[in-house]
This record gives sequence, structure tokens and C-alpha cells, in this order.
Amino acid sequence: MLQVKDIMTQDVVTISGSATVAEAVKLMKDKGLRALIVEPRSDRDPYGMVTETDIIYKVAAYGNDPKTLRVFEIMTKPCITVTPDLGVEYVARLFANTRIRRAPVVEGKLLGIVSISDIMHKSDFVEKPMQLFLEDRIDAAREEARATCAEKGATSPECAAAWDVVEELQAIAADKRKAAKKSDSLKDYCAENPDALECRIYED
Amino acid sequence: MMRAEDIMTKDVVAISGSATVAEAVKLMKDKGLRALIVEPRSDRDPYGMVTETDIVYKVAAYGDDPKTLRVFEIMTKPCITVTPDLGVEYVARLFANTRIRRAPVVQNGLKGVISISDIMHKSDFVEKPKSYFEIYCEENPSALEARMYD
Repeated sequence: MLQVKDIMTQDVVTISGSATVAEAVKLMKDKGLRALIVEPRSDRDPYGMVTETDIIYKVAAYGNDPKTLRVFEIMTKPCITVTPDLGVEYVARLFANTRIRRAPVVEGKLLGIVSISDIMHKSDFVEKPMQLFLEDRIDAAREEARATCAEKGATSPECAAAWDVVEELQAIAADKRKAAKKSDSLKDYCAENPDALECRIYED
Repeated sequence: MMRAEDIMTKDVVAISGSATVAEAVKLMKDKGLRALIVEPRSDRDPYGMVTETDIVYKVAAYGDDPKTLRVFEIMTKPCITVTPDLGVEYVARLFANTRIRRAPVVQNGLKGVISISDIMHKSDFVEKPKSYFEIYCEENPSALEARMYD
């Protein structure tokens, strides 16, 4: 599975929370960006972000003057951050569950930013939808676990770790099966009678 | 005040609801778009839309196969539409209130699409921020409230 670091945008532009919204708009237009990061002011301070959506929803929608409003008045802080080694599918799911579209990638420091456009354009979810390969991956992990255990001993920590991988994949597969169970009666009927008139598939 | 038709994107790409999600992704990548419009099938049918967000939230997030899923399974239909003569500030407020980022511009057929990026890049909200009161005074210069004191 691709990871965040493989698809993130590394060119990140930051802005101070005390800058005016007009400055933020200018910076975003100049750099062709939809979001700017507000860096923490200290070690304990969280990351913040100001996006196109914040500006339109909170400033343009009310005719407020961007030259007098400041970024800290409209930004999202703290914002959700992700680590560079998170799998792309999990980023997509995190975004869907929290209804966000973009997050800074942070590990120690700011490494980049990942957005739904990055997932759309750089990930391989069309070519390699994860569920198709799950069973293959379980097989591979199982073989690997057997080999590891044969080599390092059945009670070695390496052996236990290898089986953990298998278990995790099986848990994902079980999840999928549960979700896939819903079928409809037409589908069942067509599975049994593929030549029936109602089951024809039209290729336009 | 600028209107939706002044800043909308006129290049619109439509897709059939029965196309696969993989086809939609390819079309969006090829054309560099974030959304495709699903045109009504009849006079009484509403407009629909499928966006980058729909695809990532509903397909990529679950590892579903885009080649077997179809657009109608993930699209938003009916979707909110705006008329070409709606003021940009009202478009922005409608978007904020309904938490949307993009809408087809419709009047006797599809005229374009307007998004928060269009408002950001083409409207004059930075140069000419206007309150409703100011707009009212502009439209009714002789109203009592619009008097100017020097």
C-alpha cells in the first residue's frame, strides 16, 4: 500500500496567524494553493491551517473586509495531522470519517501536506483497489510467517510478529466480508439465471 | 456586485450516471477537473454531481474497486444549483450555509459550474468587501439610512 509520504505535496507554504486574510488570499493566489499552514508558536502549540473554504465561508459569505480580519480569526487550529507512514487507504478513511479534505504531514516537523487531490491523482486506488489483493496478501504473509518461525524458532519474537501481520490482514478481510454481504434479490436471481432478460448487461 | 455568471467556469464536463467510477476518475484526471455533472435524464429529473470528495470518501477510503462501482452509487443527486444572476456574495453564503463547495449554474440548461475556487480567484471580495447594508444604500441612495454625514 502506498504511504502518505509517497503522495504528499512537499511544497508547503506557511503563514503567521496574525497576518491579515487579504495577505493569505494574495499568498494563495500567487502560489496557486488552496491552503496555508499556520506553524506552532512553541513546542506545545498545535498546527493550524487556513483554507480556501474558511475564507469563502467565513469572509466572502458575509462581506467582511479581508484587509482587517486576521488569519487566527478564521483558521482551524488545532487541525488533524497525519504521519508520513500512514497508508493511503487509511488517510482516505480518516478524511471521510472526519469530513476533512487536507491535513499537514508531521513527524517531528512539518514534512508536507496531503489532500484528497493527492489521493485522487497520485495514489493507485483505481489500479489496485485494496480488497482485490487482500487474499493474496494474507497468503503471502502466512507463508512468510511459517518461514520465519521455522528459521527463528516457534517461540521467537520474530515469529510472533509475523503472525500478527497475518492476523491483522485477516481482520481487514473479515471487515470487508461483513460489508460485502448485503446483496439484493435481483443480483441473486441473476446469479442463478444469467441468461434471463432482466439480467442483460448493456455495454454502451 | 459580481454575479455567478461573471465568475463561473463555463467548461463543464458531464458524465452518465451509469458510467463506472474508474471512467469518472480518468475523465477528471484527463481534464484536470474536481467534479463532473450528471445531466438530468428528463425534464423532471434533477441535476447530479460527482466530485473528487465523493470518490475519495466513498471509494478510496474503503478500498472498493472503482471499475465495478458506478457513478450513480456515489453521486450527489439532486444537487443544489444556482442561477447565473445570483450575486457572488449570496453564492458564498449559500455555500457556507449548506456546507457545499461547488454548484452547477442552471437556467434553461446547464450554463457552467461555480466553485469556491472561482470565488477565491475571480471575485472582488478582497478589493470590494460589501456588507448588506452598504449594498442596500447603494441600491437606495435616497433612503434615510443611506445619508452620509461629512
